[in-house]
Amino acid sequence: MAMNDIGMSLLVLLFSSMLSAHSTIASHRSQTDHFHEEVIFKSVADAKVYSYFQFTTLWNNSFETDRFDHCRLFPRSLAEIIHTFDVQELHISLTEGHWRHRYWGYPIIEASPGAEIWVWFGKNNKGKDDIDRRWKGLTSTLSGLLCTSFNFINSANSVRPKFSFRPLGVDSSAEEGSEGNDDNERVRYAVLPREIVCTENLTPWKKMLPCDSTKGLASLLNARFIHNTNYHSIGAHYRQMCLDAECTDTKIEFKQTVSLVYDLVLLGGRADEWSIRKLFGTGLFSYCPLATTSNIYVDVSDNNIELNKQPDSTHTAQIGGNHIKYAIYDVHRHASSTAGFNLVAKIRSTSSSMSPMRHSSPLLHVNRYIREYGKENGGIVVKIYNNHRKPLVVTYFENIPWFVPIYYHTLKIRRIDNGEEIKPLAKRYAPGSTRTRPYYLEVVLRVPGRSVVELSVDFDYTFLKWQEYPPDANHGFYVGSAVVSAALPYARNYRSLPASVSLLQDIFNATWPSNSFVVQMRTESFILGLPTPDFSMPYNVICLACTVVALAFGPLHNITTKRLRLASHSAKGKWKAFVVSKIAKIFGRSAPNDAASCSDSVPDSSVNTEATKL
Amino acid sequence: MLQSRHTNNWAVLVDTSRFWFNYRHVANVLSIYRSVKRLGIPDSQIILMIADDMACNPRNPRPATVFNNADQQLNVYGDDVEVDYRGYEVTVENFVRLLTSRLPPETPRSKQLLTDEGSNILIYLTGHGGDGFLKFQDSEEITSQELADALEQMWQKRKYHEIFFMIDTCQAASMYEKFYSPNILAMASSLVGEDSLSHHIDPAIGVYIIDRYTFYALRFLEKVQPDSALNMSSFLAVCPKQDCISTVGVRTDLFARDPAKVPITDFFGSIRPVELTFVPEEILQGTMPPELNFLIPAEEPCREKRKYSYVSQLPKITKD
Repeated sequence: MAMNDIGMSLLVLLFSSMLSAHSTIASHRSQTDHFHEEVIFKSVADAKVYSYFQFTTLWNNSFETDRFDHCRLFPRSLAEIIHTFDVQELHISLTEGHWRHRYWGYPIIEASPGAEIWVWFGKNNKGKDDIDRRWKGLTSTLSGLLCTSFNFINSANSVRPKFSFRPLGVDSSAEEGSEGNDDNERVRYAVLPREIVCTENLTPWKKMLPCDSTKGLASLLNARFIHNTNYHSIGAHYRQMCLDAECTDTKIEFKQTVSLVYDLVLLGGRADEWSIRKLFGTGLFSYCPLATTSNIYVDVSDNNIELNKQPDSTHTAQIGGNHIKYAIYDVHRHASSTAGFNLVAKIRSTSSSMSPMRHSSPLLHVNRYIREYGKENGGIVVKIYNNHRKPLVVTYFENIPWFVPIYYHTLKIRRIDNGEEIKPLAKRYAPGSTRTRPYYLEVVLRVPGRSVVELSVDFDYTFLKWQEYPPDANHGFYVGSAVVSAALPYARNYRSLPASVSLLQDIFNATWPSNSFVVQMRTESFILGLPTPDFSMPYNVICLACTVVALAFGPLHNITTKRLRLASHSAKGKWKAFVVSKIAKIFGRSAPNDAASCSDSVPDSSVNTEATKL
Repeated sequence: MLQSRHTNNWAVLVDTSRFWFNYRHVANVLSIYRSVKRLGIPDSQIILMIADDMACNPRNPRPATVFNNADQQLNVYGDDVEVDYRGYEVTVENFVRLLTSRLPPETPRSKQLLTDEGSNILIYLTGHGGDGFLKFQDSEEITSQELADALEQMWQKRKYHEIFFMIDTCQAASMYEKFYSPNILAMASSLVGEDSLSHHIDPAIGVYIIDRYTFYALRFLEKVQPDSALNMSSFLAVCPKQDCISTVGVRTDLFARDPAKVPITDFFGSIRPVELTFVPEEILQGTMPPELNFLIPAEEPCREKRKYSYVSQLPKITKD
């Protein structure tokens, strides 16, 4: 009891001291976190509108020293997870649809169809097993936080890419030497291509925003107007950035993104006109009071868009040989009206963006498909199109499930036009292992200027165990997208931000490292029809086997156990025997054996009885 | 005023059917989800299991919605829905593990049934069933005996106070016949030997939109408010034979109270006990004795200046 009392008082004291410590921390940090909400609209080919929402929380806080005890704008639920599992960088995206680079250019943030997650863990770890354990814990926890199936991630579908998926934020080891930076022990990547993205994912995602979805730009995100799009992707991205130009300390950036591609023809009405009300079903009635910046941008680089309201400002910049021009609206000034802010944009019909044929195709794009020969052998083919006049160095990353065994020796890389074989600059391959590890392949190659390079690798179709087939096995098995990364020399169709910048408004005075514009394209994912057994087979087998046994058992039993004897066929004798037995019965004597053998010699009736018993 | 002895409310709502033609089962489970949420059970205390995605299914002409009737009066899916188990996660194993709290250690809170001996639990199941079993995703079954044993295990682990068990499936009454644990009130959409029927078809989606029993249950529940004085016996009579066509089965012998005296909010609503204290907490008073100084977090030592930099996204290729 005494021990208990001391414990209690200690606890109270500890609590009170922590409380006072907290209050000082809170006052000290009250102004070190900022929230920015931004949305950009861009017309793309085929009467489509690309809208990209970005909700950014920046916090002058260090992940290495702080315990995330006090969160103001940063979502507490996520902070605890990041702290518990010692996450240095976290990227999640939940996507429906495929981004068509060839027609739509490059998105601001790339995402693979389905659920994609890649994580860099912190340096304080006890080796690979420790990180694997944390990876499992992290994905399970996130599955609860975001209503996703991340809990299906295990060693059988995670890989550690070597060349792709370098940290997007700062890393202290980057300076210390290439060895620490190049390690891939701390990175984990997994994709669930089958994942369905719906309202139940958007709901918890919205709850992480400081203003929830009641105020500000997030109030435009209504499930009904998000899931009717050609492409929608929600994301959450956490990383560390330089605090200042010296970069001796870090800050935290947490970005929640939504990418949507609307088809104006499907939405109805005029195909050359879009408005906020048409896209989202509502005007903008409010701004988020917690937001420092609350901006709407319209990409007017092509000078083909007429806006119904004069923008607050227009910014232009020359980025990577590319002219960009944004019309900017400050939501604080417009959204307070009772009618709701509605922006109407008319696309001039003479513009090239309306015609599907006359778009400027991007410098690099890819296409992936499978070829099948029956249900025995198949191949994965990736075509990389380089429209630039100079060669580009491209990294190709493939993460193939264990049930699609590929043959490394069949990897062929060749130019399509002249069939010339291309020698890769580097290759990394880890063969898969049944039920425990996927096939991992990374190839760095130089794609010659103005050429199409084809990579192909063969695989076999396999049978799974009976219980491993999902309930809808005939639907097919999904194989996630491959990732093709490259640094482009020009920024044509490129709107992403450099690593040192987090807000869209800073694109105008951002500097890119030596004019290299990094793209990390996700290819198409595909469905593979694995040979699927007939699941009613066991039932059929049982029925058939039982019938056969029943039919066979009776006669066999009779033949092996019963003795056949000749019986006298003369009617006289039979009659005599009957009379004798009757008389014997009357006088209490046992019947002679001959009488019993009479029924034994009729095997047909006994077969019938045996069969019905079974 | 009736005094109920439970301290919290939970709901386990399960749709066990996959594939588009089973749209009605998702509409069923979401109808109950909508009602319990409206009547005050928070999402953290609702375990919603849906075996397939109907709202964002490519065949759904109205994305992100699930309606309970062809007139589209009520979007039971809503804008604020949290599905805890979905798709392939809805298995017999996971369902039994959830009920009996035998989940893997890393399972998040939202996927756990964190009930105690004061919990009133509403269990709602819908899907395709037969005499003594309920199918999960057309590939496995839970038998009535397994379900009864799981509930008994819950009782022995003191994981519930009372259970209201609802099931909408063919021959539904066979699922509760094997129950042998106390304090369970059970209700089924049809008796053994009867089919449970769907309500009407929606030509826009091409399939049946909801089942009769749940349709009338939702119509009844829509009129219930958190302060309603309606009792369970009125809910047990929610779907008379001329509406349901099947006979609604009820089992009350395990239930200690009279259903006519149990408010409907005992299972569909939520209790949130609020304790008012009038003595201010004074834990901040007093000074820390010096021998406990080690508890105060020390000033952070000056960290050595470290240089950070952004990482190059391009592969560094070294010749091995």
